[in-house]
Amino acid sequence: MPKLLLAALGVALLAVLSLFVGATDLSPAALFSSGPESEAMRVMLASRIPRTAAVLLSGMAMGVSGMIMQMLVRNRFVEPGTAGTVESASLGILVVTLLAPGIDLFVKMLVAALFALSGTALFLAILRRIPLRSVLMVPLVGLMLSGIFESVTTFFAYRYDLLQSLNAWIVGDFSGVLRGRYELLWFALALTGAAYLAADRFTVAGMGRDFTTGLGLNYRRVVSFGLIIVSMVTAAVVVTVGTIPFLGLIVPNLVSMTVGDNVRRAVPWVAVVGAGFVLVCDLIGRTVRYPYEIPVGTVVGVVGSALFLYLLLRKDSSLG
Amino acid sequence: MSHFLKRRALPGLPRLFSAAVLALAFAQATPALGQEKMEVRHAQGTTSVPHNPQRVVVFDLASLDTLDALGIEVDGVPGGVLPDDLSEYAADGIPKVGTVFEPDYEAVNALEPDLIIVGGRSAAKYQDLSRIAPTIDLTIDTADYLADVAKNVELLGGIFDKEKEAESRLAALRQSVEGLRAATSKIGNGLLVLTTGTKMSAYGPGSRFGILHGTFGVTPAIKDLQVSQHGQSISSEFILQTNPDWLFVIDRDAAIGRGGAAKTVLDNELVTQAKAWKEDQVVYLDPVNWYLVGGGLRSVQNMVDQLAQAFKKG
Repeated sequence: MPKLLLAALGVALLAVLSLFVGATDLSPAALFSSGPESEAMRVMLASRIPRTAAVLLSGMAMGVSGMIMQMLVRNRFVEPGTAGTVESASLGILVVTLLAPGIDLFVKMLVAALFALSGTALFLAILRRIPLRSVLMVPLVGLMLSGIFESVTTFFAYRYDLLQSLNAWIVGDFSGVLRGRYELLWFALALTGAAYLAADRFTVAGMGRDFTTGLGLNYRRVVSFGLIIVSMVTAAVVVTVGTIPFLGLIVPNLVSMTVGDNVRRAVPWVAVVGAGFVLVCDLIGRTVRYPYEIPVGTVVGVVGSALFLYLLLRKDSSLG
Repeated sequence: MSHFLKRRALPGLPRLFSAAVLALAFAQATPALGQEKMEVRHAQGTTSVPHNPQRVVVFDLASLDTLDALGIEVDGVPGGVLPDDLSEYAADGIPKVGTVFEPDYEAVNALEPDLIIVGGRSAAKYQDLSRIAPTIDLTIDTADYLADVAKNVELLGGIFDKEKEAESRLAALRQSVEGLRAATSKIGNGLLVLTTGTKMSAYGPGSRFGILHGTFGVTPAIKDLQVSQHGQSISSEFILQTNPDWLFVIDRDAAIGRGGAAKTVLDNELVTQAKAWKEDQVVYLDPVNWYLVGGGLRSVQNMVDQLAQAFKKG
């Protein structure tokens, strides 16, 4: 536990640092010496705090989603981005944009969540029907399914001249985050909290259907609950900031390497490490080309693929 | 993909080849008519183009804009969103030859054009299209925008025997630009921002929208903005920090006919604190002229007119 506290403290320190990084000059001194109506305070409340909060929230939520998913399909190399969840959510956003462009953000999220839910359910249904002889089959099926959703989305985006707009949503980016434009992510946090409360059930479900039923739990219900959480969280993050690749894959794996597979114990770690990881990547994106920005999706892609290779190539890799 | 397309374009080649042989034989037999061909220098080399070509396919919207302004008929245009000035080309009667990014080679071939014009977004397809018919690339060099626009207008005027018309329209354009420059020298600095969805990017001198600074004479609010195709990604804070006297906005979503919401993106508690917003000096540039059409004879005139109008009230 003290280790976890230490990690949380580290992320908190980074978060404070993040409050003072941005295009506007804003020093702690200027903030405290001025009144509540000052420009420094306005920038802090309208831009810096929302952005830092959005980064932390989406990092936590996507990390935990990845872990739940890995438990449910009993495979370490699955996350919302490799199981069709992210891609079907994007398809949902595209459909809303084509049919009702001016619609409320919350409705947009609900539609995206519905699509994400159907896409993920389809993934699970396929898994149930094919013989899984190798651990690689599960992520491969997921990647193929993602590819299908993605190509459908790309096709319609191309037909309707929306490719570039689609790209603008899909690449994760916090530069548009302001007070009033990110609050859906608190909803994702609430769902992550619910996931934490149900953590033991996911651990059990991770042992398999027979084992779960033997313990008197309704396997189907646990899986559905997990699916709903993953889909809603993914939809909320995709709608507000776009997709953050690799996150749901790397963070749970790093955590399970160090603290093991007990979900109740791992969830807080995944949340803290996930938040910290996204925060570091966003800080890099904000400072490398200061005062311009590199989208966090790009930075995470670079840092994440390096970490992913490490996971694959390390000596005791389970993929051997 | 490109392999497939090339194969589709092939059936036309033998016919094209025999037509070329015939034309060559004809030109040798009647030297007087040999002058019917003219050498045109363009962005990707030199092409021998028939004088006053009968069937013309245009992928470059700026050139389409110029040809239309000069009253020259065009036989094939790209599908997709067209500006109001060119809406007549959206009609079903005019053959569509793919999009500005992806030509429909079969449709182009079926038209048996004498001349194909590409530029900007379609410039990358120059090689493939030039196998079908003489093709010229009229991409505008943003470093010397107005001169390049003028060069293209004169060139098209020359090919289609509209030199006089082209000259008088250009003279009018140059005069309006002079007038605009006189105005911009007194208005302070400006920043150009393009919005897509909720995201914003900034463009400076020398960029694809550099005409604002280089030709129209608006002092850039940021001098060392690095040039890149999609601009530099910025946040609302950046606008507040830069605090330009004038803010010029291109709404990309509106340009491609997808609603557009630049105003709602900018109307936040940070941007509204910037000087340009407070003094009502935010100009929503006509997205079709700026983003879609670019350097056509009429679109540049429209750009100048819109800015002149905006500065008049200021």
